[in-house]
Amino acid sequence: MTLLELTEVTAFYGPVQVLEGVSLSVPEGGAVGILGANGAGKTTTLRAISGTVRAGGKIVFDGTDIRGMRPDKVAALGIAHVPEGRGTLAGLTVRENLKVGAYLRKDRKGIDADIEYCLDLFPNLRERIKSHGSALSGGEQQMLAVARAVMAKPRLMLLDEASLGLAPSTAKNVYQAIGRLRKESGIAMLVVEQNANLAFTLVDTATVLETGRNALTGTSAELKGMDEIRRAYLGG
Amino acid sequence: MGTFIQLVIDGLSAGSIYAALALAIVLVNQATGLINFAQGGMAVLAAYFAYTFLQWGVPLILAILLSVLVSFVLGAVIERFLMRRFERGDPDTAVVVTIGLLTLITGLCGWIWSFNNLQFPSLFPVQTVNILGAVVSIRSIGTTLVIVGIMLLLQLLFLGTKLGLALRAVAVNPQSASFSGLPVGRLLMVGWGLAAGLGAVAGALIAPSLTLTPGMMDSALVYALAAVILGGLSSPIGVVIAAWMIGVLENLAAVYVPFIGYDLKIAVPFILIFIVLIVRPQGLFGRKEVVRV
Amino acid sequence: MAAATDFLSKPWVRWVAIALVVIALIVLPLILPAFANQTLARIGVFAVAVLGLNVVMGYTGQVSLGQIFFVGVGAYVTAYGVQQGWNIALVLILAALIPGVIGLLISLAAARLGGLAIAMVTIALPIIGVPLAKRLSEFTGGSQGLSARFSAAPEWTGLYDDQWQLYIVIAIAGVVFLLTRNLVRGKYGRAFAIVKGNEAVASSMGISPYRYKVLAFTIASLIGGVSGFLYMVVVQYTSPETMSFGHSITLLASMVIGGAGSILGSLLGGAYYVLAPQLTNAIDSSLTAVLQGVILLVILFVLPGGLVSLPRLWRRRKSEHRGMPALDATASVTVPTPHPPTQSEEKRQDT
Repeated sequence: MTLLELTEVTAFYGPVQVLEGVSLSVPEGGAVGILGANGAGKTTTLRAISGTVRAGGKIVFDGTDIRGMRPDKVAALGIAHVPEGRGTLAGLTVRENLKVGAYLRKDRKGIDADIEYCLDLFPNLRERIKSHGSALSGGEQQMLAVARAVMAKPRLMLLDEASLGLAPSTAKNVYQAIGRLRKESGIAMLVVEQNANLAFTLVDTATVLETGRNALTGTSAELKGMDEIRRAYLGG
Repeated sequence: MGTFIQLVIDGLSAGSIYAALALAIVLVNQATGLINFAQGGMAVLAAYFAYTFLQWGVPLILAILLSVLVSFVLGAVIERFLMRRFERGDPDTAVVVTIGLLTLITGLCGWIWSFNNLQFPSLFPVQTVNILGAVVSIRSIGTTLVIVGIMLLLQLLFLGTKLGLALRAVAVNPQSASFSGLPVGRLLMVGWGLAAGLGAVAGALIAPSLTLTPGMMDSALVYALAAVILGGLSSPIGVVIAAWMIGVLENLAAVYVPFIGYDLKIAVPFILIFIVLIVRPQGLFGRKEVVRV
Repeated sequence: MAAATDFLSKPWVRWVAIALVVIALIVLPLILPAFANQTLARIGVFAVAVLGLNVVMGYTGQVSLGQIFFVGVGAYVTAYGVQQGWNIALVLILAALIPGVIGLLISLAAARLGGLAIAMVTIALPIIGVPLAKRLSEFTGGSQGLSARFSAAPEWTGLYDDQWQLYIVIAIAGVVFLLTRNLVRGKYGRAFAIVKGNEAVASSMGISPYRYKVLAFTIASLIGGVSGFLYMVVVQYTSPETMSFGHSITLLASMVIGGAGSILGSLLGGAYYVLAPQLTNAIDSSLTAVLQGVILLVILFVLPGGLVSLPRLWRRRKSEHRGMPALDATASVTVPTPHPPTQSEEKRQDT
């Protein structure tokens, strides 16, 4: 069952058109990657979904047309956006960050249980539970950002450049945790990644964007096998 | 000694008023990134509302509470329809907008209620008590306690409730907050409403001694801004302590430093700022922030 | 309209226009009635004051509520100097220099704080200035103020007083405007603009925001002092009321309404300062402040560049009609899209 469907989505920053017609679909519980070079429009695609940039075309989530919806309304429908730059709530503690993630929920016990789960998923956060968000390292902030999204109990998670600025080993840790999360929770994921190797450890299918359009789409196996992909994104 | 204690307590009372206004300014700044030069004017408007309720026969406490409520709504409306456009943009433009708002509010108060001094009753009896040989007014003690009480309540709100958490989140990173489902616009309105309500309390408490006129809180605004400079925009506690210091020091200077006297005591906070700045450019309590391009 | 703009940019047209203006400035005072001359003179006085404010606020982006204080100081220095019988040229120099020094000292402290500190500190200037003026009565005449009549037309000119005063205002204001115009069009003006736009970028280019803020503020106060001198030429009387908080705000509003960061806008601002109260009083005197506030807010919403930007706006509207899209942000209005920290965020962190 298709959870999210984008059809010929366009987006503008002022007079500049950044997306010229992007289409993709994410099945329930599935994981889809968005690959491509800098400036191809990967992040903008996620922003179009979460409502932080005005977009044209069709964006349908679980049967509801969400194009043009405000970000907090999109979140209420069950989409959690883990933004580029991590969106850490700086003056708040790690625990408070997680509580904000669960803002829309009313089940106290469930929230506490999920906080426990997140700390288990990301042990680094457990040690830093009382620290302010701003005191965390880049990797820890990324984990916190993912955990914040988990706290919302979303059906779909939008991951924007989760490896950006992280040491390779840290990035690998983060992706392993996300992989475990996916297996245990069944959350669908749309993953924007420059590091295609990392992305392929997580996603089943992917689409490659070039100047705001889909250039290639296929399963991870297919894409990994293609020469162009290997040369451009997998280091030969 | 008696005079000294009297001056200190009166200074704390005045300082509490400045602190309330300064906190309102800090609150608005943390939420929406701008400095509201009309914060004092809004407080005066609230006092005029209370005055009108009094004219209608409403008991004093209720009149003040009602004016706080009306002020809350007004603050929210102003944020939504006037300031929203200018938030997160150039703060200097936003400041000019608030100056325009101040002019408008002052003008409206003068037009509706005239520019004459109006009598405003005090919540506290005019009596005095004897503390260590000093004659201290109940009004001063009462004002200080009320404002301290409200500040504690606000602390409780911000640190202990979900709404407070949401307000803090929105202040720090509104986009990230919206990704977690927080209704950013509505929370900004609440922030402005709270600030306006806080100002309303300050207005009602200072009106009895200053008498109600449209420009009643112009000086208080100046003191509040001085407290904000000294305390640093990022430190509510620092701002409160700075405000108390200003209140106490200006009172002491008025009496013990003849040149300053009563009419020039408003210069005291700025002499203070001058001195502090030479030693600590970021204010007494503010943190040295890293500036990124 | 395009044809008109082309016509106006031809160099010889410019020269003819300037010549016409100069001729008008020489001839008009002679033919206009006294009341008109006096009004024009007062417009000139406050155009200079607004120009000074523009240097620090319009061009360098620092909100200042203290400009009227410097005007007042300049006026007091002038009045005192004239009463003491000092040479008038010396008086003029002092009227500029003393406010300039005060402005320098204030900005040395206030600019260090960054952010809106200059706004927050300068708000105190008129509020402290009024009781200070009342207190220092040996110099200022206390609440009564000081009057100084020194601008009567000399016999050899054969002019009436109001004409002579207008010529003086035109001459001195003209010089100030020219000097300032050269300043803002030169490298200092460019530095001011960079500091206004993004202080971090300015630092990285080797342009110290602190230094240029101090420079701008000092120049503003110098110009303010000159305006005070001219004020005495025309009004011949000053009192603590001259630098009241209300006037401070009106001056700031005049700058914004005339056009921030614009030489011509300063002239319009001066005109607004003098004419608007007369107009609003005519409508309903108790509504003056309300109308002022409304006008300022309307300008900020609809015409942020001030009245001087009206032609630009009209030109843009016309080009839109021809099918060129106007540039606007398409990002969501309620929540800002991620962007690198701009000056606004840095400023918030500074204070």
